[in-house]
Amino acid sequence: MTDPHLASNSPRSPWREAWRRLRQNRLAVSCGGILIAIVLACLIGPLVTGQTIETQNLDLGATSPSAQHWLGTDPLGRDLLTRILSGGRVSLAVGLTATLVSLLIGVAYGATSGFLGGRADAIMMRIVEILYALPFIILVIILIVVLEPVFKLPRMAWLVSLFGGEGQIKLVVLFMVIGAIEWLTMARVVRAQVMTLRQQDFVSAALALGVPKWKIILRHLVPNCLGPVIVYSTLTIPAVMLLEAVLSFLGLGVQAPFASWGSLIQEGADNMETRPWMLVFPALFFSSTLFCLNFLGDGLRDALDPKAER
Amino acid sequence: MRFLTALAGLGLILTLLGLTACSRHDSRARKAAREGILLVGNGTEPKSLDPHIASGVTEHHLIITLLEGLTSDHPVEESVVPAAAARWEANDTLDEWTFHLRPEAKWSNGDPVTAQDFVWAYQRLLTPSLGGEYAAMLYLLKGAEAFNKGETTDPQSIGARALDPLTLRLTLVGPTPYFPSMLTHYAWFPVHPPTILAHGKIDTRASRWTHPGNFVGNGPFTLKTWRFKHLIEVVRNPHYWDAATVKLNGIRFLPIDNIPAEERMFRDGQLHLTETVPLDKIEHWRTKQADSYYENPYLAVYFYRINVTHPQLKDPRVRHALSLAIDREAITKNIMKAGQSPATGLVPPVAGYTGPGLVKFDPVEARRLLAEAGYADPSTFPRFDILFNVSESHRTIAEAIQQMWNKNLGLNVGLNSQDWGVYLDAQQRLDFNVSRAAWTADYPDPMTFLDMWTTGNGNNMTGWSRPEFDALIAQARTIRDTSERFTVLKEAESLLLQDMPVIPLYIYVRNYLVSPAVTGWHPKLLDSRPWKHVGLQVDPPSPHTP
Repeated sequence: MTDPHLASNSPRSPWREAWRRLRQNRLAVSCGGILIAIVLACLIGPLVTGQTIETQNLDLGATSPSAQHWLGTDPLGRDLLTRILSGGRVSLAVGLTATLVSLLIGVAYGATSGFLGGRADAIMMRIVEILYALPFIILVIILIVVLEPVFKLPRMAWLVSLFGGEGQIKLVVLFMVIGAIEWLTMARVVRAQVMTLRQQDFVSAALALGVPKWKIILRHLVPNCLGPVIVYSTLTIPAVMLLEAVLSFLGLGVQAPFASWGSLIQEGADNMETRPWMLVFPALFFSSTLFCLNFLGDGLRDALDPKAER
Repeated sequence: MRFLTALAGLGLILTLLGLTACSRHDSRARKAAREGILLVGNGTEPKSLDPHIASGVTEHHLIITLLEGLTSDHPVEESVVPAAAARWEANDTLDEWTFHLRPEAKWSNGDPVTAQDFVWAYQRLLTPSLGGEYAAMLYLLKGAEAFNKGETTDPQSIGARALDPLTLRLTLVGPTPYFPSMLTHYAWFPVHPPTILAHGKIDTRASRWTHPGNFVGNGPFTLKTWRFKHLIEVVRNPHYWDAATVKLNGIRFLPIDNIPAEERMFRDGQLHLTETVPLDKIEHWRTKQADSYYENPYLAVYFYRINVTHPQLKDPRVRHALSLAIDREAITKNIMKAGQSPATGLVPPVAGYTGPGLVKFDPVEARRLLAEAGYADPSTFPRFDILFNVSESHRTIAEAIQQMWNKNLGLNVGLNSQDWGVYLDAQQRLDFNVSRAAWTADYPDPMTFLDMWTTGNGNNMTGWSRPEFDALIAQARTIRDTSERFTVLKEAESLLLQDMPVIPLYIYVRNYLVSPAVTGWHPKLLDSRPWKHVGLQVDPPSPHTP
């Protein structure tokens, strides 16, 4: 009677099933562990190192890793560990916020389009396809260039102050722009899911009972799409972080003295021959985070797919 | 498993790449050397090849290959040699100069170079509607200032006359002993009037005459290719009067604004000459490969322009506070590390001239001045930006200064990096708060660092204007005796530094790399490059490749 599998005659909830399957996936679990460790380090680390990202020590200059500075310093004598950890905050924040924005837009758009069907669906999907066709990076760059002056207007000051003042304008714009662009695939995923769901009996029943359409979408369709949405979100976060890194690499990302992993890697690339530690450590943090997120996403997909049950 | 396969594939690709790199024994620079073509890293994409529109050093390196002035730089010494003019003489008061042009000098289409071409060129640069940045350099000519400011529309009033097709008479506002050395600057170069008029009017700024195929010049080379952001190639000009002296068959100028990339290209044998050396690599080149490394004194100053029309920065006390809060020694000693010296004034050490030396580091005084200006609590000071063109070293310096202003004054400063063209435009439109800048001497005299700050000068770009300063500069232009002139110029510099529309930072040293294959390379104080004397050894001794 101690074996839980034998004990339960009652139907097991699909979420608990998924959780059980995920735990069996050792790669996904260890990736999740590493991810949590990195996130915690980024959150707590900059408070503990006793340095700030701006503290310069011009007399010290660039030094290789030492007991004082575990990961070395950059040419202005700033502690690299502190900069990497607080850079991680920026990168992770961009990843999460932009994914959240894309999630909201994508789910709402996809669910509406899939549920309404017919001509509305056709028009909405053609719009998505047109947006797909536009060159991605160029669109982001144009949006940044257009939006930045808008945010500098006095009447936008309240919004900017929410995010920590004028120095962060570029960052806020970056959140919005990436989120506003990343929702396309999400919308398609949700639409496909909704289209299969709306043929099912419980939706027909709800329709027959006269439940309003928006309520059906919100109550019945969206919760049932959650599996694929979660999976796709975990895969969007690394994609967004990569995009932020690309933009920072091009000089469009965060503004100095703040750093993100992308901008740190860019600085490191310029110094890679004489000061390899400036490239190696930020790249290590960045790539292991991306790796873990991807493996975790893979694991979640397997876990949430009921057909994957052996 | 898939992951392992991918890893193995990556390894294979890298190995193959390594093998091809090893088997390529002929570098691009070697091949070019055999063809007599010099590969030059030229910093950034030039704004224009029109000598009346251009204003940068990048453009200077290019324009002197395509056009030639009355005089040009001596290949070795710091003096000038006859160029388009075979000889010249001045009157006793040194304010009337007569130049005798070479009868054999020709434009690249075969037309003879005439005195009228020079007169027309000066008239073009001074045309107010052209808006040439360097127009003020010609104010030395009698009547030029009045014409440029629109007080008269009669081009005959400018002190430049063609006495006959080969004799040019220039009448100046005052005695100018250094006049021949000034003429090596492209503002004084001739242009081919029929070419310009075929592609627009005399005051068309964005004219197509500077495009390959259209460009007609009188320099040792002619324009062959101009691919935007990629390459500018010039080739030997057969019509050049001194074509026999020209050693190279052509020069390729590559706009590379990524300094580490430029250095890597040099090491990889893709360049003969670099624009600069990355800060972190200087030590390596200086000690390990000194035969390629050049570190030359250079008459240039690095400074920050301040927009004095800015609501807070218009207070001179604030500007002084900003200047006093910068530890220049820390920048030159710990960041630049290549022999630069902290600036004590705006004019670098020119033979015979000592500046007032008013610039120093004093954080206590800086804070006092800021408080006096009404910002005892620095957090009430609105945030402003430092503008600079994209470059690793500009960014590093800006970050250091950002931190110094934050630490010593408590100010919140942002950084704003822009592409070269955007950056130049922003400066011109006064669309900045504080902007990085550098000035290279156009001729070896303190005047070149000072007359640009006069009211309305195209290179002023700070909004600053002081009638007393203008008067001192005008006065200096009329003095013949050098030491007396320097006294007046020193007074002008003091006045400028008292108002501080610019924050001088450091005096340049030029660091760059030259391949051992290059012959006839002699560093000059103004970084002028007499390209026609530069050559290439076909099989150079190459100590770097096994």
